[in-house]
Amino acid sequence: MLQFFVKRLMALVLTLVVASGVIFLCLEIVPGDPALYMLGLNAQEDTLAALRAELGLDMGPVARYWAWVSGMMVGDFGISYTYRTPVAEMVAERLKVSLPLAIYALTLSTAIAFPAGIWAASRRGRGADIAVMGVTQLGVAIPNFWFAMLMVLVFAIHLRWFNAGGFAGWEAGVGPVLKSLTLPAIALALPQASILARVMRSALLDSLNEDYVRTARAKGLSRGQALWRHALRNALIPVLTIIGLQFAFLMAGAIIIENVFYLPGLGRLVFQAISARDLIVVESVVMLLVFAVVVVNFLVDIAYALVDPRLRGRG
Amino acid sequence: MSLLQIDKLSLEIGGVQILRDVSLRLDAGQILGVIGESGSGKSMTAFAVTQLLPVGVTCRGRVLLQGQDVLAQTEAQMCQLRGRVVSMVFQEPMTALNPLHPIGQQVAETIMVHENIGRTAAMARAAQALRRAELPPETFPMGRYPHELSGGQRQRVVIAMAIALRPSLLIADEPTTALDVTTQAEILSLLRRLVQEDGMGLMLISHDLAVVADMADQIVIMRQGEVVEEGPAAQLFSGLRHPYSQALLAASGHVPARPDRGQLGAPLLEVQAATRRYAGPRRGLWGRGPSFEAVRDVSFCLRRGESLGLVGESGCGKSTLTRAILGLDALQSGSIAFDGQPVWAGGGAARAVRRRMQVVFQDPYGSFNPRWKVARLVAEPFHLLDQPPTGAARRAAVNEALYSVGLTAADGDKYIHEFSGGQRQRIAIARALIIKPDLIILDEAVSALDVSVRAQVLDLLADLSGRFGLSYLFISHDLGVVRAITDRVLVMRAGQIVEEGPTEQVFASPSHPYTKDLIAAAPVLPAYAKETAQ
Amino acid sequence: MSARNLIIGGSLSGVFVLAALLSFLWVPQDVTQLDIANKIRPPSAAHWLGTDHYGRDILSMIMVGARTSIAVALVAVGIGMGLGVPLGLAAAARHGGWLDEAIMRGNDLVFAFPSLLIAIMITAIFGASAVNAIVAIGIFNIPVFARLTRSGALSLWTRDFILAAQVAGKGAVRISAEHILPNVTNLLIVQGTIQFSLGILAEAGLSYVGLGAQPPTPSWGRMLADSQTMVSFAPHMAFFPGMAILLTVLGLNLLGDGLRDMLDPRLRRLR
Repeated sequence: MLQFFVKRLMALVLTLVVASGVIFLCLEIVPGDPALYMLGLNAQEDTLAALRAELGLDMGPVARYWAWVSGMMVGDFGISYTYRTPVAEMVAERLKVSLPLAIYALTLSTAIAFPAGIWAASRRGRGADIAVMGVTQLGVAIPNFWFAMLMVLVFAIHLRWFNAGGFAGWEAGVGPVLKSLTLPAIALALPQASILARVMRSALLDSLNEDYVRTARAKGLSRGQALWRHALRNALIPVLTIIGLQFAFLMAGAIIIENVFYLPGLGRLVFQAISARDLIVVESVVMLLVFAVVVVNFLVDIAYALVDPRLRGRG
Repeated sequence: MSLLQIDKLSLEIGGVQILRDVSLRLDAGQILGVIGESGSGKSMTAFAVTQLLPVGVTCRGRVLLQGQDVLAQTEAQMCQLRGRVVSMVFQEPMTALNPLHPIGQQVAETIMVHENIGRTAAMARAAQALRRAELPPETFPMGRYPHELSGGQRQRVVIAMAIALRPSLLIADEPTTALDVTTQAEILSLLRRLVQEDGMGLMLISHDLAVVADMADQIVIMRQGEVVEEGPAAQLFSGLRHPYSQALLAASGHVPARPDRGQLGAPLLEVQAATRRYAGPRRGLWGRGPSFEAVRDVSFCLRRGESLGLVGESGCGKSTLTRAILGLDALQSGSIAFDGQPVWAGGGAARAVRRRMQVVFQDPYGSFNPRWKVARLVAEPFHLLDQPPTGAARRAAVNEALYSVGLTAADGDKYIHEFSGGQRQRIAIARALIIKPDLIILDEAVSALDVSVRAQVLDLLADLSGRFGLSYLFISHDLGVVRAITDRVLVMRAGQIVEEGPTEQVFASPSHPYTKDLIAAAPVLPAYAKETAQ
Repeated sequence: MSARNLIIGGSLSGVFVLAALLSFLWVPQDVTQLDIANKIRPPSAAHWLGTDHYGRDILSMIMVGARTSIAVALVAVGIGMGLGVPLGLAAAARHGGWLDEAIMRGNDLVFAFPSLLIAIMITAIFGASAVNAIVAIGIFNIPVFARLTRSGALSLWTRDFILAAQVAGKGAVRISAEHILPNVTNLLIVQGTIQFSLGILAEAGLSYVGLGAQPPTPSWGRMLADSQTMVSFAPHMAFFPGMAILLTVLGLNLLGDGLRDMLDPRLRRLR
């Protein structure tokens, strides 16, 4: 188990190193001088040089990469080219919105998908199954930002149950925060929950066809007992994979959904940074999101090993 | 009152009749053997007793278990019976256990489902059951997972689960088919002992006449959903009435007539001190465990016109050796020469040698690309020729190969899924014949076939060897088949040849202890049945 | 069931492909002409789906927008298949070797970048355009097809007919082309349909946030972005482009399900 853990951890570090290299190469080596961009075309040469030194742009690429990576490891993401404030502070402020949104959506989607998938599988071919399959077929096909707009139209504009957008801020307390994140979280969770419910259903149907379920039935377990005690845990393996993959889509989806609801999250930050060509901010946010995705996939790998004893021995 | 009495059981799936008026009975303490080839309905009969049938199956008739008709029971009542009164053991020990639960827990589950006892008490009883199944927790801790056990050990776990509550009836559906012959003998004797100890009834289902004839008190022979023969084992074979059962018995002891070609020719295949190592399993982060020698210092010679058998259990290195002979893998040391030329030369297999050797594999379903027509499949070895025939000449060669295995030219335009298992093995033989090789390696080539089909394919092989002057290397775990078709036999164990000699001599008086075990373990038809067969 | 999926899915997605093709020849109203006098009209006989804030006919916009969606998704699937399938075949042919390891690690790396992040990076460097969307979605498709091909190919490599081909002296490249590829085609067709529908969704999302097609190129995502501030008084502007995306994606998904049921012999045998 320890060996498995260490191996996965090494793979994680390797992926992060290569990913940071790729991001750095793409964004730092691009033509264009941020200092020139910040000060305008009429800037004095010595002012430019001073600013370049301040931003660390006068170093070679390897030194700059090292400065960037080692800075990030201690929480120093550099200074924003446009706002002249530490990127870390800006990102931390935005994370207070984006992270709760992602967790809220993931919780919602799992809480909907698991019962729906199990329910459909245990009533295969009957009304419940057909209903779940129909609804999830729609859920998979619906663009989440459009669904978000429709919800705004119905629940915010017509029914006035929620605000059409904006973020209450944590100072206002947990209640208002949850209220302002509910519609975005539902919009994010719907397609994810649909996919997850379908995967849950088919994985469960697959494992219900396995020989060990027949063995369990031959011992005297009822259909339901065999499902809960034997099929479900085996079905979790593909389901965990999808949850891991979905996290990446959730992060991406959040960036779009924040736009619909005017939420001051990472997504809005990144778009502002792109239009201002504030590459250091783009770079940091992308790296942070990649980091989140990779870490979640690492956790999924660990969860695999907890579920499946066959993986514990190997690397 | 019989323990189990089935009266005129008929079973349908979606309008297709699977069983027709099946009747049989089994008394406590007795063993009932149910014999049949694939599709005979023998497993369906078993599942009808436990009512673990696929969705959409309708049953008619009566299945009386201790006087109660199980067809009239509710699902909840059946759950009460399963595991407590009637238990099952299945064919595939590799998949019959839940891979995620420790074995002790899986055995204890049987007890906890039926009796209101605590976990600790259930585990103690599970330990007892495992001990009775000869898998004592002292040597095989109950915390082990299925993947840490061998096939035979897993089958013992399944048996322990089945007998934990001392049921009155145990149904074993091909319990040893997936196991090696020595493991099979152990499992069969375990089952026999449990029947004696507990006085339970055992319904033993098998395709193997010899396995059942050896064990059973009563025998039922099934074919296409019907019982064609039944009676006490001792008398059944002398008075077989149905032509099918007579043919089945004849086929299972079948020895094909082979042409006597007198003096053997020059050495054709020479294997000299062949050794093939595999890298050991990964250990730690970078290291590897000790490497594993799949084939160790193997030497033998196959002469032109000879039929040589290679016998061994799974994992003995047969497949590795086959791959090396075919030039698919290089050896670490030693040499393999074909007609004096090395099989492996200059980093690759020599084409000139390869085209004189062909192979027929075990699985009639996996041996063909499902998207190709038979003519293209059969012609594939032409790739080995420098100037393969094209157009009409190519087709003529394909047709000739198809004729020689008893198929027609029209079969060349069909896809492989249109053929039965036996026909597919004929096509595989045609594919091997097409470039007129000197040697054909038959890698478990008849193991997956039903007895009657197997007999036909063996006859075909004997006939072809006479007509085309072929030599065979016949690789199999099935001693009966090897004895029937080879002149000389090699016995392989753990990568080494432990015994070699003329087939009859080795079987009549084996010298190596392993060969003795192997021959002793192989189920054979009782003498009275053998006489009838001839 | 499978026939019904095929028919419904095929006709739904067929309608949008035809609409896109038709738009090259004819649209109800030229989408490059602004008609401010008739802006934000609800559906009527003259404009079946109403007009937008520049007075453009929404039906015509949807027809021309279908071109963008389909082109972007199609090229992205092409990139994914064109690079992913050979990589997957190569990884399977060299299973356990360094090439396999390198390809799989490369896959993991790309999977860490959702297509939106790739699009963000490309936009940050080169600015926004429809090509961005194609490249971003295309790159993300590569590991999808590579993994699928590899896993399908790996199970085929253990089959005896591959061994028979090796005995016939065929090399890994030839075997991959003659035996492996034809037997994974079904998988690829089904996954291709699904990736095509995901591509349409992704393109809409990217265009919506301004990382995809740029004005004046009509695109469904942009139409939704434009409608957002007017949704309270002109809901038709948001409704119809959204329905176009929903129905196309739904159609493609149903088509994929139907194809899988029809092509997968494992499922067919169960019936």
